[in-house]
Amino acid sequence: MRRSGRRFVAPVVDARQVVYREIDDASRVCLDYIVPRNSVKEFMFPQTETVATFSIAKGEVDLREVEPPAVETVVFGVRPCDAASIASMRSVFTWDFVDRYYTERQDRCLIVTVACTSGDDACFCTSVGLGPDAAEGSDVLLRETEGGDFTVEAVSERGEAFVSEFAGAFGEAGGVETRALFEPGRLEADTGKITEWLSRREHYDEPFWAEACRKCVGCGACTFSCPTCHCFDIIDEGTAFEGERRKNWDACQFDHFTLHASGHNPRDTQYKRWRNRFMCKFNYYPRKFSSRGCVGCGRCIRVCPVRLDITEVMEEVTAMAASQQ
Amino acid sequence: MENELRRKARELLESGEVKVVIGYGWNRRRTFTTPIFVTRPDDTDRLIFNERCVNNLSVYLTRKYRDIQALGRPAIVAKGCDIRNIAVLISEGQVEREGVYIIGVVCRGVVYRQELWKGELRPEIMPVKCHNCDVRNPHIADAVVGEPSDFTPPEEPAGMVFDKIREVDAMEPAQRWAFWMEHFRRCIKCYACRQVCSLCYCERCITEKNMPQWIETSAHPRGNLAWNLIRAMHLTGRCTFCGECERACPVNIPLNVINQKMSLVVGEAFDYRSGYDPGEHPPMIVFRPDDREDFIK
Repeated sequence: MRRSGRRFVAPVVDARQVVYREIDDASRVCLDYIVPRNSVKEFMFPQTETVATFSIAKGEVDLREVEPPAVETVVFGVRPCDAASIASMRSVFTWDFVDRYYTERQDRCLIVTVACTSGDDACFCTSVGLGPDAAEGSDVLLRETEGGDFTVEAVSERGEAFVSEFAGAFGEAGGVETRALFEPGRLEADTGKITEWLSRREHYDEPFWAEACRKCVGCGACTFSCPTCHCFDIIDEGTAFEGERRKNWDACQFDHFTLHASGHNPRDTQYKRWRNRFMCKFNYYPRKFSSRGCVGCGRCIRVCPVRLDITEVMEEVTAMAASQQ
Repeated sequence: MENELRRKARELLESGEVKVVIGYGWNRRRTFTTPIFVTRPDDTDRLIFNERCVNNLSVYLTRKYRDIQALGRPAIVAKGCDIRNIAVLISEGQVEREGVYIIGVVCRGVVYRQELWKGELRPEIMPVKCHNCDVRNPHIADAVVGEPSDFTPPEEPAGMVFDKIREVDAMEPAQRWAFWMEHFRRCIKCYACRQVCSLCYCERCITEKNMPQWIETSAHPRGNLAWNLIRAMHLTGRCTFCGECERACPVNIPLNVINQKMSLVVGEAFDYRSGYDPGEHPPMIVFRPDDREDFIK
């Protein structure tokens, strides 16, 4: 595949955990994982990228835009939750301005998804309208067979072209049993009801928020591992005379994220910042972008050092919505 | 033990001596322990203590948590290791000794990461600090809960972190550089290490200062190196080896190796270990004419 000039990304083991990483040796591919620690977003929206270079000399400013690298990429072993997040990302990056740094990369990413046959109690894709073999966002969907092979299904035009290009690599599947899928336990939560409850102004200042989110320590681990969190910051780095303008991930959980130059911070305590994250997932995303703000991958739950579990908040909000009807 | 803990918490809240008890409780499905904040005497039954209560709750005593401070005087459920952090906070003027009621809990060790818990505390799943713990019986507290422990730590600190330090020390400089760069390369600048650390209490961290920008915030090798080294320097002589930074790191950077190495250096140079005497200042923030200088090269 690399002979065709493509970049190849797949799950591999690195520092005692499975991560998506660019590789050039297929034997490194790991197939025993729930979801990789990182999400596919970083191959379309890298954590750090240079968008311009600048130099300043004798009153002259030389600012040069850096073109987004257009590398054809195959991301293999994506989980259905991650694949579904791509549409959410795109809706943000094409909403009022088309961010070429995102769209051009994404247009060149081919997503090969593997349906889930294992999971853990942090998984909740079925509660946000997805499932262990959801095809949303995928180009090719693979299902594991009992014999340790995969069945291949092209689910987009690009996927079909890809499968025919590499037809020689696939055998006949005829009559193989696919392995049972992992079905996460269903939450006592209703995302429709959550959105409706969140969108009502009077619920913004419910004492519930302070009680439910007080333990948040304000790290960005949840946002940086989340496949739909997309906030970034533009920063100039270098010397006073030359340097690079970089687009770096930022996180709404950081206290300086909303800090104004005046010193005022509208989200001045941590629970307000966590409330914002929940609002983004279940209110702003569905209402503003008509897309899914949460894909149920459970990464935020697994990485949280204080186990602030988004599914618990979803259940509590659903219960409040039901009792206030 | 839990009953004793709950009784104490109830008594403190009912008498008005404290307004909030910072402690541990179960999550909704009772599968994980998690920090809780109890403000009503009737909720004290939610408090628990067991081998899975790994979090160092002293972070909630710092000024970063204005909404918690606004609740009023707190009581905190603290293991000996967590109390060491409180002692540093007191010595650095961040917390007043009378400003907090310490409910010390006798601890027999905790699990390094809760997901490793399979119903039994085995040495392999405990953090290295627990194997070498000399504060299983809380050394500073207003009340102590639990039967005293007779655990005696080994003479020489033992465990993976110390083995790794010896291994890294034995490396050639180029090899050591490669070792650390390989680990820092993965850093995603989520700052979880900083946020779970009660001794990283600055309200404006140096990495957030951008006029001028002091360190590069980009998650490239140079920016990552700058961040991790700056944090290590700022914790030198202060870190208590509570291990929260490494536990919280989502990309498994061996932060205990850095911070514990620095503690060993400080121990050797100044004969100082942090977190035992709240009346003594950490060596890197004081100057004494008779300070040894032979370690500066």
